[in-house]
Amino acid sequence: MAAIAWISRLWAIAGGLVLLAVMLMTVTSVAMRYTFGSPILGDFELVEMGTAIAAFAFLPHCQLTRGNVAVDVFTTKAPPRVQAALTATGSLALALIALLLLWRMTLGGHDFFRYGEVTTNIGVPRWWAFPPILLSLALLVLTSLVTLAEDLGVLGTGGEPS
Amino acid sequence: MSSEAAGLLGVGLLLVLIALRIPIAAAMIIVGGGGFAWLAGTGPLLAQLKTLAYWRFSTYDLSVVPLFMLMGQFATRAGLSSDLFRAANVWIGHFRGGMAMAAVGACAGFGAICGSSLATASTMGQVVLPELRKHGYEPALATGTLAAGGTLGILIPPSVILVIYAIIVEANIVTMFQAALIPGLLATLVFALVVRLYVWLKPEAGPVGDRYDPGERWQATLAIWPVLLIFLLVIGGIYFGVFTPTEAAAIGAFGVGLTALVKGRLNRGSLMNCLLETGKATAMIFLILLGAELLNGFIALSRLPASAALWIEQAELAPMTVMLMMLLVFIVFGCFMDSLSMIILAVPFFWPMLADLDFGMDQDSLKIWFGILALVVVELGLITPPVGLNVFIIHGLADDVPMRETFKGVMPFFVAELFRVALLLAAPGIVLLLPRLLG
Repeated sequence: MAAIAWISRLWAIAGGLVLLAVMLMTVTSVAMRYTFGSPILGDFELVEMGTAIAAFAFLPHCQLTRGNVAVDVFTTKAPPRVQAALTATGSLALALIALLLLWRMTLGGHDFFRYGEVTTNIGVPRWWAFPPILLSLALLVLTSLVTLAEDLGVLGTGGEPS
Repeated sequence: MSSEAAGLLGVGLLLVLIALRIPIAAAMIIVGGGGFAWLAGTGPLLAQLKTLAYWRFSTYDLSVVPLFMLMGQFATRAGLSSDLFRAANVWIGHFRGGMAMAAVGACAGFGAICGSSLATASTMGQVVLPELRKHGYEPALATGTLAAGGTLGILIPPSVILVIYAIIVEANIVTMFQAALIPGLLATLVFALVVRLYVWLKPEAGPVGDRYDPGERWQATLAIWPVLLIFLLVIGGIYFGVFTPTEAAAIGAFGVGLTALVKGRLNRGSLMNCLLETGKATAMIFLILLGAELLNGFIALSRLPASAALWIEQAELAPMTVMLMMLLVFIVFGCFMDSLSMIILAVPFFWPMLADLDFGMDQDSLKIWFGILALVVVELGLITPPVGLNVFIIHGLADDVPMRETFKGVMPFFVAELFRVALLLAAPGIVLLLPRLLG
């Protein structure tokens, strides 16, 4: 489990670096637009693709650090076991959602590949974004399962955090 | 079962799941996806899921969100919170209640760059609360000011939540940013006035602080000029169409990051932390937006908003009554839900019902006006006794102050906020003036 935490953290940092690259590219493009009169070709498309790749890469770490907001004010008075069971249900739901997305988006990426779908201005093949995205989703399945295991552990000890 | 009934059932189930601690994004995806499959069939849902998330995450307008988050993270690392407070305090701290007013100003400044009320309250609280207490401010006034001050950033551009609202109702982001400025500054002014009034009625609540000589004043002010400059560049650039909001956000993040680097407050470790925190917040928001996309598909199929609009028409409810009811729902839900989830969840239901009602303005103006009102009241929920989330955050930072005291301190600000809502309702011109002038 520690390995999964380490990988998802590293993966999120990699996503952050992609975001930094998007930032630098955009700044450069604006500077070029006002100095040379021409921006970086296809800058909007690169922003879109980069943001998507980064955002997917952030998902596993977010789940592992319990970053997905939930409303707990209605259940704070419930017995600890009930609370643990509810949290576990949430983790399970996320694991299933991640699995569903992984399955469907593998096919989606394959469609982009098969039909040769490219971006409008500079013709970047859209499927290029999919290998990192699918890896992110696979990692999200794993981190959701890790949080589920943690929740079940708490449930096993009768609701006291172990 | 009619599709409307399915829609209603879906909404009910969604609220139950959320109340049962299911992450909001997961609840939206389950109900949205499930409902869509029920009304349209499993095949269309599965086909949609192939690329829906890709298209949603790669929306150009949405790329503003992680970039502004990054800018906020850099600003926090650069020590902007304490610098801002210091810069305001050296000028007005020696007046009665001046430190609290400086806190209001610093909250507005920090919130503008940070964009999250809860984060603003907690960051500024850590910096300012000890100072206020040290100088003998009444605990209720100190905690109340910070809980309320945390809500200021939401309207002062650049605001992430405003971007999200604009994307949901397909409004122009730039216009929304223009519209939000005057109401945001108005709130800052009103909060400062509340502090003034408070210490006027109760002079011992806000003792005078130290007086600084001109040298110290300019030094403190100089410490924040790079950030002020970047802020003006970002906002000015957006307002006058020099660059897109995404470009502005990239330039802002770059500039603030560079400032932090020059100040020696950004090393490899803290950069990693900035990226991780940015990533965490981004992932949370994007997953909720994916849920919203699915939920919207389901709700549109159920024709629920259309039926509700028809019902409103037949019941001959006055448009203003409908508006007030919606705002009330926002306040109630805003008490226990964070503002962003609240807006993403409720606006897709409310806007279609509102769109065709006659408020004596065109639909674009109504979009802007409603958006600003919704944001203001959602923030109001954050300081509503006895559940407001901001109050809990501040209480966590100063737990020797009884909760009751903190709520007592927030009350004057709460009342002032109600007046502001009434003012914005009565005079939409306050909201619409700037977009008209600049547009």
